[in-house]
Amino acid sequence: MLEINNLSVKLAEEDRTILNGLTLDVKAGEVHAIMGPNGSGKSTLSYVLAGREGYEVTSGEVKFKGEDLLELSPDQRAAKGLFLAFQYPIEVPGVVTMQFLKVALNAQHRARGEKELTTPEFMKLVKDRAARLDISLDMLKRAVNVGFSGGEKKRAEILQMAVLEPSLCILDETDSGLDIDALRIVADGVNALRSPERAMVVITHYQRLLDYIVPDYVHVLSQGRIVKSGGKELALELEAKGYAGFAREAA
Amino acid sequence: MNVAVNKTPAELAYDGMLLPHPRLEDWKWTNLRVLIDRPYPPRVKVTAAPKDIERLLKRDPLGKLARTRIVFVNGHFEAAWSNHPAGGDVKVTPRLAPLSADDEPVLDMNKAFATAGVHVEIASNIDAPVELVHIATDAEARTIATRHSIAVTEGASATLFETHLGEGDYLSNSVVDVTLGAGAKLDRVKIEIESPEAIHLAHALIKVGANAILRDFTLTSGARVNRQNGTISFDGEKSDAKIAGSYLLSGKQHADTRLLIDHRVPKCTSRELFKCVMDERARGIFQGKVVVQRDAQKTDGKQSSHGLLLSETAEFDAKPELEIYADDVVCGHGATSGDIDHNHLFYLCSRGIPEAEAKSMLIAAFVAEAFDTIGHEEVRHQLNRFAETWLVSHKETSP
Repeated sequence: MLEINNLSVKLAEEDRTILNGLTLDVKAGEVHAIMGPNGSGKSTLSYVLAGREGYEVTSGEVKFKGEDLLELSPDQRAAKGLFLAFQYPIEVPGVVTMQFLKVALNAQHRARGEKELTTPEFMKLVKDRAARLDISLDMLKRAVNVGFSGGEKKRAEILQMAVLEPSLCILDETDSGLDIDALRIVADGVNALRSPERAMVVITHYQRLLDYIVPDYVHVLSQGRIVKSGGKELALELEAKGYAGFAREAA
Repeated sequence: MNVAVNKTPAELAYDGMLLPHPRLEDWKWTNLRVLIDRPYPPRVKVTAAPKDIERLLKRDPLGKLARTRIVFVNGHFEAAWSNHPAGGDVKVTPRLAPLSADDEPVLDMNKAFATAGVHVEIASNIDAPVELVHIATDAEARTIATRHSIAVTEGASATLFETHLGEGDYLSNSVVDVTLGAGAKLDRVKIEIESPEAIHLAHALIKVGANAILRDFTLTSGARVNRQNGTISFDGEKSDAKIAGSYLLSGKQHADTRLLIDHRVPKCTSRELFKCVMDERARGIFQGKVVVQRDAQKTDGKQSSHGLLLSETAEFDAKPELEIYADDVVCGHGATSGDIDHNHLFYLCSRGIPEAEAKSMLIAAFVAEAFDTIGHEEVRHQLNRFAETWLVSHKETSP
């Protein structure tokens, strides 16, 4: 599904390397957790995969379903099945959430040569997915993320994911800013999407989220590269030893 | 004014009338002596083919929403194309309303050359919108001037549409004189989608009586040169006026709105909100002046204008002015200008929306704030559609 080989990335505007030879292989049906301290390159990885401008790939390659991901525009990546749940979902004043979701879903269908949904079909889908995430229709009539609480923003991200049904979900610090109840709702929403055809990359600072979204693999990111990989028990080990120990181990 | 100048060909065609020049403060950004770069002779009679009229009328985005529709073709009232239900509460009388002397160039031109107009009187609560449609058909370059008077009498309420569209090269000069009686309510929506070669000059004179409510919105998207003046004067206490507008400009379009809000009496509220989008080499200008006279205590007046620049060569100029002679007032103004927020754009694109479509959504979202002034929901809906398709349609038609 996703093959990252020796990827190095620097900020376009300053000469600072953020990712430094990162390699990761994610297959369909797998859930990978990427853990790392602040500044290790977690968010950069998610943005580079989603196609945000401002980064320069200096070496390496990224293949998504066998195709060169870095050649695609952000909307093409999304239509191909990549979805990034943002750490800080963007507020877009004036664009109504419901309308946004419909335009996005139908744009993806169009790009893949699939039939677009009619308004009733779309409404049925959204109502179904929203109910599971405890999202009211009233919230969907508001502008995208505008005035949403931290928890509402994260739930709205998972709703978008549930409606768009991507094949690769990248969750960037989805647990940040959530209380335990909201965390459970979000995790349930994510777990409902687990399937043999779908892969997930869960980026997190803390082990807590992984109690709810149990990964198949855990990777430790430090200074722009993966310094250790293991099973889900690695997360617990990391929690006990702290990131400093791993960084030293790697050096 | 005895200034020796060499008259331009356009001025000669206007019987020697002088066009405003940039030394006049109100006209510093819109030099009509240069922008009206060819003669537009007045009083030219052009006969339009029915199929052209029909085609143009179909282009009116508000046409289906109006019940009373008064149609002007090339500056003349066309009863046959108009639709005015008999025995209704809207009185329409074809007549050129008298214009009080005013030393203002658009009014002066209109006074000299207007060929037709109607007086519309609304004396009860009218739900169905009344529309004045102005169309120009493709013919020789000429000046088309109309002047209307609208009276919404005491306690009455109405929705009034004013649409301007056409084909070919012409100059349209449109003056409306609006009076709101005590307790009256008027929702006025003007759509300026003139031909891309045209020049549009307009002046709206609006007098607001006591306890009256005015909602005024103008979409400016047509014409190569556009200048719209608005003079809103509060003549009775406790009235409330919201004046809003949106520009959607591309190519080398030039649009300049000059508003004067005159608070002459106490306890009135005025709001101005202009959301202006400029692409390519277009230039948008907003000049808003709020005057609070000495007796107009407890005035609450605010204005804001915002420019969204879609290219590095687009320009937005704002000139807010406050002139306050009373001491117990709340007045303020704000102006901003910027390009599309890249975070917004990335977020929409990351969900699979192609960039051009995402931009269109953000443009529509930007101007839609000004649409909120309009009470009629279906009108807002039509304007949203217009805004959402604007970017793609002007990219397609530009060479």
